[in-house]
Amino acid sequence: MDVAGLIASLEASGLATGIRNSLYLFPLIESAHVVGLTMVFGTILIIDLRLLGLASTQRRFTAIASDVFKWTWLAFAVTVMTGALMFVTNASTYYNNAYFRAKMVLLVLSGLNMLAFELTARRSLHVWDRHAAAPAAGRAVAALSLALWIGVIFLGRWVGFTTSSVPVPADDVDLEKLEDLLPK
Amino acid sequence: MTQFAEWLSQTSLSLAIQSHEWVIPTVQSVHIIAIAGVLGSVFMIMLRILVRAGRDQTLAQTTARFGPWLSWALCVLMVTGVVMIVGEPARQLLALSFWLKMGLVVIGTAVAVLFQRSLRRHEPHWESVLVNQSRVKGLAVVTFLVWVSVVVLGRLIAYDYVWGSWSTALKQ
Repeated sequence: MDVAGLIASLEASGLATGIRNSLYLFPLIESAHVVGLTMVFGTILIIDLRLLGLASTQRRFTAIASDVFKWTWLAFAVTVMTGALMFVTNASTYYNNAYFRAKMVLLVLSGLNMLAFELTARRSLHVWDRHAAAPAAGRAVAALSLALWIGVIFLGRWVGFTTSSVPVPADDVDLEKLEDLLPK
Repeated sequence: MTQFAEWLSQTSLSLAIQSHEWVIPTVQSVHIIAIAGVLGSVFMIMLRILVRAGRDQTLAQTTARFGPWLSWALCVLMVTGVVMIVGEPARQLLALSFWLKMGLVVIGTAVAVLFQRSLRRHEPHWESVLVNQSRVKGLAVVTFLVWVSVVVLGRLIAYDYVWGSWSTALKQ
């Protein structure tokens, strides 16, 4: 199946239709997505500032990493799952959106950046674990990580502003129709 | 409130924001980055109180690390928040989600201020007694959930109809 066909079938799936037909699911999924991504960025910020020697400098890097990283991954899992649900809901709109594509590119680069850390600074961790800052390679990874995640957040907001993902446009909601949906 | 929103939307500052399409998404992005700082800081202080992180640190050390970031992030949130209110008065001020969010922001900020002040004044008591009390642990979890709810309500400002007949935006 080609990509366009896959995108169309995702959008036609029962899951996507169910979310589109609900007044509440998309806003709730999007809210969970924002909670997830703020936790991802909030915890990654702690790691990157430690690598850069700007905060938590009196603690070992490994102590910070073991405090924080498991929560980063949990939050990332929530963000990816809710992001996937938002994507299938309007798959073709997002797939054809330039900001969405750029955001995905930055996420891949962010993954490669983590790989670069494993291959460089991570290998000499036993040497600099107690140092106030990581060696140059580690600091470069941290600075790039912050730039990439900030870029992801900006692009994500631009995706929202350039796609009409609202299942029912708020301006067109008829109060009388809404009242029919509420338990009598 | 409708008249106030109407007046605010006609001020020169509001019109300037409205005439530049990039301002609102940019300010929203900065707002999200700042709330990440708040959520991350509150989360780490909560984990320390729950003895799930920073075991090698005292509560005062953990709060000294994250408290200033929390305070500065709150300042950025207020400035960017005001810009969004001035830029889109009706969207914000007429939404039930906005006022619920403001209520929780006041509670969350009051807890942060009172906690940091109390910790400074009664540090030994906090380190030896209070931090071990289950009601303090419970309060830490509730405080974190207050900020999570602030994030959720912030996003729901765009979808005020989810409140059905309670929605204040739909009644205008």
